[in-house]
Amino acid sequence: MLEPLTTSLEKVFGFHAFRTGQRNALTALEAGEDTLAVLPTGAGKTLIYQLYGYRHPGCVLIISPLLSLMNDQVDRMHMAGFRRTAAINSLTSYADRQAILQHLDTYQFLFMSPEMLAQPQMLARVKQLPLSLLVIDEAHCIVQWGPDFRPEYLLLGAIRTQLQQPLTLMLTATAGQTTRHEIAKQLRTRPTVVAESVDRPNIFLDVEQVANEPAKQERLTALVSQLQGPGVIYFSSKQQATDTALSLQQQTQRKTAAYHAGLSSEDRFKIQQQFMAGQLDVICATSAFGMGIDKNDVRYVIHYHLPADFESYAQEIGRAGRDGQPSVAILLYASGDEQLPLMLGQTNRPEAETIHRYYARPQAFSEDDAAIALLAFYRRHGISEAAVIQLFRRREKERNRALAQMLAYVREPHCLRHNWLLAFDEQSAEHDDHCCSPAGMPLDLARLGLLAPTEPVTEAPVADWTKRLRRLF
Amino acid sequence: MEAADLLALLDAQQFRRLRVIENLLRGKKTVSTLYWGQRYRALYLVGLAKKLPRGALDAPAQALQERGLIVTGETPDQVRLTEKGLDAQRQATYFTPLTRASWNQIDLMAARERILLAVQVVSQYAHAVKRYYPLATGTQTRQAVRRWFYQQAHSSLSEQMFDSLKESLNRLPTQVAEAVTALFTGYQQPGQTAAQLAQAWQYTPWEVTLMQLDGMMQIALDARTTGPLTSLLRPTWQSPVTRSAQQTLAAVGQGRTLDQIAAARGIKVNTAREHLLEAAILLPLTRFPYDDILTASIRQAFAAALTGPIDSWQYTALPEALQARYAFFYFRLYAIWCDKRGEQRA
Repeated sequence: MLEPLTTSLEKVFGFHAFRTGQRNALTALEAGEDTLAVLPTGAGKTLIYQLYGYRHPGCVLIISPLLSLMNDQVDRMHMAGFRRTAAINSLTSYADRQAILQHLDTYQFLFMSPEMLAQPQMLARVKQLPLSLLVIDEAHCIVQWGPDFRPEYLLLGAIRTQLQQPLTLMLTATAGQTTRHEIAKQLRTRPTVVAESVDRPNIFLDVEQVANEPAKQERLTALVSQLQGPGVIYFSSKQQATDTALSLQQQTQRKTAAYHAGLSSEDRFKIQQQFMAGQLDVICATSAFGMGIDKNDVRYVIHYHLPADFESYAQEIGRAGRDGQPSVAILLYASGDEQLPLMLGQTNRPEAETIHRYYARPQAFSEDDAAIALLAFYRRHGISEAAVIQLFRRREKERNRALAQMLAYVREPHCLRHNWLLAFDEQSAEHDDHCCSPAGMPLDLARLGLLAPTEPVTEAPVADWTKRLRRLF
Repeated sequence: MEAADLLALLDAQQFRRLRVIENLLRGKKTVSTLYWGQRYRALYLVGLAKKLPRGALDAPAQALQERGLIVTGETPDQVRLTEKGLDAQRQATYFTPLTRASWNQIDLMAARERILLAVQVVSQYAHAVKRYYPLATGTQTRQAVRRWFYQQAHSSLSEQMFDSLKESLNRLPTQVAEAVTALFTGYQQPGQTAAQLAQAWQYTPWEVTLMQLDGMMQIALDARTTGPLTSLLRPTWQSPVTRSAQQTLAAVGQGRTLDQIAAARGIKVNTAREHLLEAAILLPLTRFPYDDILTASIRQAFAAALTGPIDSWQYTALPEALQARYAFFYFRLYAIWCDKRGEQRA
């Protein structure tokens, strides 16, 4: 007979009580039910599989979509005291991979990218492992990223079957009914759904319509000067994140840095740590930033570009106000902004004509082209031309629907929260002063208590190098 | 790599090929790249930016050209400083690493990774912090540092680290010491990125990286004999010459001919010749058996036919009889020999 869940919780983490979502998810898993846990950012999703892994012999296999994040996750597991943890993905060096493979059966937690698991040799090795739990992290990516970005996520259903349908935990911060249904369908299961509201009442929602790009820049600078930090500004382009970080630094006296997948892992590490240590006021980031950032006191999240869908938007604004204190999520919109996500959506998406020509003569195409590589992937997995065309068509429709939903949010005249929650099939409380300000309504930062104190920024004196060295040791 | 970084690597007399510089940085060690790397006095760059994308120097080169600082040669890939470019280079006071002559004797990037992680680990240890995010490194580095740490960990380790790092950094310009320590990660110090430091100091990020590497090299040089880092860094020292080339060189030393060596090792004669050229380029004059291979009569024959600056020599312009007698290999080896003797005299 296993000890009670709370006993394990106390032993491993020293906590006395679960959060609701954690308890419900663990209870379902302990009863042998596949579980889809839709829990907001900061609800402690990781603890669910950590504790399950602690309580049951065998290996917990975690499929995680973001390569750059995976090593962070391993570090966090080590920090939490789970030493027998490793990650394998395409960034893992050959030597590292060999070393991990040699001891594969000794790991308690194994992180893997979907494409790594899809390789037949790797799959054969994993099949030998006694899996206690299969975890699909960021499960909404199955829907978001599937057909035109990370096709391997679509193979997860088949892979799961090959692994003899192990007990499966699907984790995501945001998934409306459609997404939940799609996740379950792709993974060929009927999971118990454990969901908490995506609503974060302490995050004030704001949409601001600006005339054009220069006006947007100007408004951003004004906001960053006024707002109580720390804050995160999201961009759809690395270049713009970098440029804006620089110009904000010059114009606002705020300490800013850019964070995106183009940085070396060392620089990403340092910037994350600087941000966590309170040495930076503002991060200008792409979507690469965030998953796995534990910083409770982020006071604002600004979106410079229109996100492609509500799921991403909810994830990203969810990084504000984890401490429960008043925070704000601001979306800046200039008319025509929807062109960017539309255009980004078009990349990698081959036309029906191209698909037809490719299937007629695949050898005539170079797989260096991302769109062709995608078609080649489908073809190798025996998906017919007609099915592929259908897939892209459906995907495009889905994408357009998601974008239209985002635009409806931008144009919402009455209550942003109502509009937002409706997308996740939730009801909102009655609109009040602390709820939101749709486009056209002024944002009163003073009333929200989010104005930065006015005292001048005092620069910490730069110690000379021997002093700095002394402080280290 | 920015325009300023490229400017520092160019010359007013010699046309230099962008592709050679790019290949050096990317660590593509073909004999041709190494030969020209030696001619440009830029071999210290080998493997310093393995992830540099192809064509990464084209944009900086174009920027220099637009400012009238360089001209292109026969191909757009060959560039040379204009007078204005030379002036700009002189005024730039670009940082030159003091220890660069030693850089090819160590796997500098591996040594750097080990030093940085060791500093972080000891710093946290000094402040009794057991749980922290370690720098992202390869497993090999992580395991090596872990082993080293468990062997070294005692109460005076952090003092020893402080003393030995201070001593090493004291040998370098203050700016380098400032850069190295500002980039360190440790207790309550996430560390600056090279880009942040560059912005604050008005350098380029690459220049800051060169400063850091200079510091790392000095630390490694000092740790060769004493100090807490000796055992950690020992495995990163290496011959600049590949193992295969070393074997060929050793066989020549035992008096075997290239044909014999090739047959015995199952390689082509041409490959054996490439090995020797690689060794000749990367080793000091005295450590290569020039007298055995490039005999006095061969040298005389070339000396009579080749005049003017080394870079203007062309094998195909030699008299046909000489070409028939001596393969390209001897021609190139003769050029390396002349180059190294010139370097020695200078």
